[in-house]
Amino acid sequence: MQLKTVIDSPCGLRFMLDKLELQSGFARRCLLDMEMLTQAADIQASYDVLHQFAHFVDATDRVHLSTLLFKLQALKDIRTTIQNLEHHATLDDIELFEVKHLAILAVDVKKLLAEHGMEQVVDIPDLDEVITILDPDGLKMASFYIYDSYCQQLKDLRSKMRQNPELNDQLLLEASDLELGVRIDLSKQLHHYATAIRQALLALADVDIYLAKALQMKQMGLCFPVISQDGSTRFEGLFHPQVKEALAAVGRQYQPVDISFDLKPTLITGANMGGKTVVLKTLTLCQYLFQFGFGIPATSAHLDVKSHIFFCIGDEQSVEKGLSSFAAEMKNIDAVIKASRNERKLLALIDEPARTTNPTEGAALVAALLKVLAAADMSLLLTTHYDIEPGDARCLRVKGFDNGVMNYSLVEVHDGEVPHEALNIAQALDIDPQWISLARDIINKNERIL
Amino acid sequence: MPFINEILNYSSLSIVGLEKNTGKTECLKYVLKRMPVDSRRIAVTSIGIDGETVDQVTRTQKPEIVLPQGMFFATSEAHYRQRRLVSELMDVSDENTSLGRVVTAKALTTGKVLLSGPPSATGLIRWMKQMQRLGIDLTIIDGALSRLSSASPAVSQSMILATGAAYSANINTLVQKTAFIVQLINLPLADEEKRNLFGTLEQGSWWLDADGVLNPLSSATSLSKDIRFKGMDRCSTIYVAGALVDGFIEKVRANKDLRQVEIVVRDFTRIFVTPQLFRLFLKAGGRVTVLQKSKLIAVTVNPTSPSGFVLDSDILCQKLSEAIELPVYDLLKN
Repeated sequence: MQLKTVIDSPCGLRFMLDKLELQSGFARRCLLDMEMLTQAADIQASYDVLHQFAHFVDATDRVHLSTLLFKLQALKDIRTTIQNLEHHATLDDIELFEVKHLAILAVDVKKLLAEHGMEQVVDIPDLDEVITILDPDGLKMASFYIYDSYCQQLKDLRSKMRQNPELNDQLLLEASDLELGVRIDLSKQLHHYATAIRQALLALADVDIYLAKALQMKQMGLCFPVISQDGSTRFEGLFHPQVKEALAAVGRQYQPVDISFDLKPTLITGANMGGKTVVLKTLTLCQYLFQFGFGIPATSAHLDVKSHIFFCIGDEQSVEKGLSSFAAEMKNIDAVIKASRNERKLLALIDEPARTTNPTEGAALVAALLKVLAAADMSLLLTTHYDIEPGDARCLRVKGFDNGVMNYSLVEVHDGEVPHEALNIAQALDIDPQWISLARDIINKNERIL
Repeated sequence: MPFINEILNYSSLSIVGLEKNTGKTECLKYVLKRMPVDSRRIAVTSIGIDGETVDQVTRTQKPEIVLPQGMFFATSEAHYRQRRLVSELMDVSDENTSLGRVVTAKALTTGKVLLSGPPSATGLIRWMKQMQRLGIDLTIIDGALSRLSSASPAVSQSMILATGAAYSANINTLVQKTAFIVQLINLPLADEEKRNLFGTLEQGSWWLDADGVLNPLSSATSLSKDIRFKGMDRCSTIYVAGALVDGFIEKVRANKDLRQVEIVVRDFTRIFVTPQLFRLFLKAGGRVTVLQKSKLIAVTVNPTSPSGFVLDSDILCQKLSEAIELPVYDLLKN
């Protein structure tokens, strides 16, 4: 699964990408094309490199760092040119310029990284010989044309052109034949370096991506995760960067939470506005960030590698497909159940399933869902307002109103009993008092309203 | 020619034709030929596609652009491959045009080239900045007003305007129409505070009250006959991010509180108002200012229209010069 296919997941992945200060459009394209990592070794390797870049960002003075960042802005996507080279095509002036430009950039970046002992971290192939081929006069300039020194005949023709501009058109025709000969020769020489040039291009994009990730970690206060060995996941001080920023904009503070779960289903209950959905969003976001090698928004994080991530958030009406919100949700959850029968190591986060139907059937659907998924090799987190029998599931509850202030932290409880705070919260929201007090009367009269 | 020296006082120049065949390309050739390429680094480009060998609209012969040895130029990939000179590539931009990316190169021999530069205003500004990085002293932009181009020549510091019989075949009309454009080019800059405030607003209309608070001018009002909004008696300035048209000025004029308002537009190319209405608005105490402005250095005329009609060059130059109080040149004649 590529990053670009999940970037619009409602968990807020796009926000993280938008905040990532990549220097080149090519690096962004590479990142979006990246496949999700599903092997612990790959993820570890990626974080090992990111560790070194984070250290580099901390240890390097701003002048050096901005020189490097500025250089990376010049990185261009020349994959078509490289492909032509690989296929023995003859490159034109513009393509040869692109190759030279990249080679000089690769050598420069390699040198800058080497000054900080980073040459081993990202393998940028040596392209000095490519530069030599495209810079016959040793001018060390990032410009290119078919230099006079490639061909004595061409040199003579050109000096004739400068002396007799009126003969230009005739002489240019002769010159273009000679230039073509030079380009064929250059392309032949460069063909041997095509693989190295491609590697250098991708390595430079990697440098851009790792630097951006390292800078983002610093700016947002993200942490390096530990890869879990026992299938459990643990966060301390977990936060959602987008929600945190939105709150900060109106002068409010985000309350980070601690949470852990393992391969047993986890049921999260809690009052309305208690942040249950935000918790699920953050957990989904973190899992993606982890498997695409980003910093994690928490003070400490242990994560388990998953093969598939499902995030079912209830309000996905699909008008185009003609599905009601209930039908759309059922289909999404159905996909989780089907996957759980064939696949291993799943993560499913389901926000208030069956909430749009009547409470009797809804509660039954949720309880049954817990039973159906209990045996699967997966981590399941599910939020609900329904009173259901938790069975083997672990129960977490949002603390809720505490002296008139919402406390978002999660506490472990031993039953699935749901808090009955909806009316208090509605009252606090200044909702029509007649409506609310009538509802209270109805409950007090013990009518069968639930 | 005196204006050649004046051009060198600025870091950018645009050459703008009021109509096709008003001699813009002649003017560009004239300027390029006289640039001191040995002592200054000079780069030339065109907004959008230009430099066709035959004019695509009127089918008249168009002169190709000859670049002197040592001059930098930007054109599209397609046209770069057709160049008829030896040149050294300096830069390939990320920006794609219908003819490929924009490339910048230095002419190593004198020769002909087809110019087709950045197609958008942001692309043009980016290119000008890139030229600064490459150490270019002066950028020359072959601009166009009559073409559908979103790149405005007003981003350059200085400007030469080309007008002629192709714009109008009657001397008096031509003088009046040109003088009006000159008046628009010479509109004063809005003060710096307003330039900073409005510069970031890409669309919509906005108004400033006496305390300098920015409010959107709701688009709903644009359907009504006049402009009415709360706090209008305290409105000092209106900013129109898009085009300023007759209808808008009329609505403003219909409103007693707004007769003396200052209307700010991005640059003179955004104004599409008839001269009479524009002057009435100014006469009643209204003001029009711009965020970007070029210094108009000279006006050139081409007395020959593509249909073959020829105006008297001396009378045209004299009358126009009197009307706009600027030197006017017939470059083909001189």
